[in-house]
Amino acid sequence: MEKAIQRQKILLQHLRPVSSSASSDISASICLAGDSAAYHRNACFGDDVVSVAAYRTPLCKSKRGGFKDTHADDLLSPVLKALIDTSKINPSEVGDIVVGTVLAPGSQRASECRMAAFYAGFPETVPIRTVNRQCSSGLQAVADVAAAIKAGFYDIGIGAGLESMTVNPMAWEGSINPKVKDFQKARDCLLPMGITSENVAHRFGVTRQEQDQAAVLSHKKAAAATASGKFKDEIIPVATKIIDPKTQVEKNVVISVDDGIRPNTSLSDLAKLKTVFKKDGTTTAGNSSQVSDGAGAVLLMRRSVAEQKGLPVLGVFRSFAAVGVDPAVMGVGPAVAIPAAVKAAGLELNDVDLFEINEAFASQYVYCCKQLELDPEKVNVNGGAMAIGHPLGATGARCVATLLHEMKRRGKDCRFGVISMCIGTGMGAAAVFERGDIVDTLSNARRIQVNNQLSKDAL
Amino acid sequence: MPSFKTPFNGSAVKFSPYYETRLAVGTAQNFGIVGNGAVHVLDLTPGAAIAQVVAFNTNDGVYDVAFAEDNDNLLVAAVADGSVKLWDVARPPSANPIVSLQEHTQEVQAVDYNPVRKDSFLTASWDDTVKLWTIDRPASIRTFKEHTYCVYSAVWNPRHADVFASVSGDVTVRIWDVREPQSTMVFPAHEMEILSCDWNKYDDCMVATASVDRSIKVWDVRSFRVPVAVLNGHGFPVKKIKFSPHQRNMILSCSYDMTVCMWNYQIEDALVWRYDHHTEFAVGIDMNPFVEGLIASCGWDELVYVWQHGTDPRAF
Repeated sequence: MEKAIQRQKILLQHLRPVSSSASSDISASICLAGDSAAYHRNACFGDDVVSVAAYRTPLCKSKRGGFKDTHADDLLSPVLKALIDTSKINPSEVGDIVVGTVLAPGSQRASECRMAAFYAGFPETVPIRTVNRQCSSGLQAVADVAAAIKAGFYDIGIGAGLESMTVNPMAWEGSINPKVKDFQKARDCLLPMGITSENVAHRFGVTRQEQDQAAVLSHKKAAAATASGKFKDEIIPVATKIIDPKTQVEKNVVISVDDGIRPNTSLSDLAKLKTVFKKDGTTTAGNSSQVSDGAGAVLLMRRSVAEQKGLPVLGVFRSFAAVGVDPAVMGVGPAVAIPAAVKAAGLELNDVDLFEINEAFASQYVYCCKQLELDPEKVNVNGGAMAIGHPLGATGARCVATLLHEMKRRGKDCRFGVISMCIGTGMGAAAVFERGDIVDTLSNARRIQVNNQLSKDAL
Repeated sequence: MPSFKTPFNGSAVKFSPYYETRLAVGTAQNFGIVGNGAVHVLDLTPGAAIAQVVAFNTNDGVYDVAFAEDNDNLLVAAVADGSVKLWDVARPPSANPIVSLQEHTQEVQAVDYNPVRKDSFLTASWDDTVKLWTIDRPASIRTFKEHTYCVYSAVWNPRHADVFASVSGDVTVRIWDVREPQSTMVFPAHEMEILSCDWNKYDDCMVATASVDRSIKVWDVRSFRVPVAVLNGHGFPVKKIKFSPHQRNMILSCSYDMTVCMWNYQIEDALVWRYDHHTEFAVGIDMNPFVEGLIASCGWDELVYVWQHGTDPRAF
């Protein structure tokens, strides 16, 4: 009889279910990476999307720097060419090139990119397109290519970024729809970026001191990286011409270093700078990103293809997330995007060994680091946009190059890297890379609380 | 198409992998709560009636049956008293069951014969375990004990001889490889008890789960963060599901809402057909591996129906 009661109970539970909490401690992990993954720890799968090369041009101050007289397409073509030259792949195998670019008129820039591909030696059969997600366009381009490879559209693709802020300064063309006055959020999209920075500083209490400190640090780290030759791996020197502003004499030059870095920047210097956007504000030219020209490009392919070609894997593209935030404080984007991308990779924040967060403004950069409680030792170890520069469309691709090469230098102990940036009009984007197949499982081992992997004999 | 009335309440129906006209039905007295059980082996006759070939009785309810894949006369039954019984249709009832395996400590809910290696079968039990057996051994080869509540189903992968999936009232799906010491994968597939699962016959990474939460979810085990599809439409818990042996995108289900449903999980409007011929819980379904679209169902209304998909099961 007891049995019958038990059977009734089990069947009744089907009909009058209570949401079971029996296994609330089990949650599905998302990607195959990470110690918390459900199976196979150093997951190397043939259909992983991997980067085998990532390069950038030097970043130069717009209107005054090394690229002030360089056509935008002449910035893009050297990095595209470098990918082909170093990987030795046949350019006709590239399934698509996606270029993130922001300020230039859309169609014209698309044409320039197509022309840049020809300058770089690509045949007419290789298509190219542009993508614009404002400041994350370069990262979006890489993510788009990774997604297309994952979807099986093609096996090899290039994600790139390009911006000449000399040629295309930030501007609004035409009139503004009067309707915006009825839509607070839409109106906030028109705020100058500097004002959104002031909003972040004000709303979240980031002081001028903290911001200037971050700027000084950025310059110091970038200067140290340059001095020690770290950027040599990722920078493709660009042969171009420069016109002397006084004599109007044209001179052929090879630009091979970032020219915005000021090694001697000090707190006292920065403290003297006037705020730009608000009288009693905190955002100055010194603690904002620099206006620059530059380009970057990342060669992506299926791991199986990379293995066939014998190309060493620089990093595995694990996840990408773009999120929306309040346009009035658009700088908080990374604080939302990073957790989203890290979660999508099946990881936790402290699994990440290296962060490359775009320093659009010190205010938002400092806020995001504080909000996520990031270890300063892990973030922007080679400086950021305040020192190196922020050519809007190129920044994402630049960060990929910087991150992957730094991860390569750090070797086994650096397994996961994150790139993130805020996006004008209130968004954020982030991506997770893994140094996949070079990873030594031993050095990444973490303490196991319950040893359940051993065979029964060993216990 | 015809129907067949059994003395007890139905619990499971399976087509034979050898004869397109043969099927077996497991039944249990008093809805399986208390009383006897029986297995009926049935044949579809040319006159379109269903004829009984043989029936075997048990002292407790039969919760599931499975034909052996390597012997056309052999039948395995999951019995509520915890035993697993093997029957030989070629022998008279007095010589049966040929084996009774008594290891499970509680009700055996499901049995599945290995379709690839054809030499072994799995049983899933309310004692939270899955056991692996071969017919030539008197004891189970292995016990898989990781679930923390009743295991309602364990189903072999149709391509890999060593891989199977199990689902449980502990709301998880576990994927096992019998060569490995532990389950190779575990993921919570539903918020509530999972009653049934099945592998896609055309995609060895695709598994579907049916739950008390009334939904059916289709999963790609390589990326189980989100289901490939969620099929809503049953009004009560979904008791069993089965992928079509002929079409990669079709799933058959039956439910406590008394209906049997055909789904196309690849289209947005996934519910293709709803059959409401049963007047009690619909608890057993199968699709004929030889005749495309030939469906069998059984229910607590003591009726077994066999019909062609798209037609009325009662029209006879």
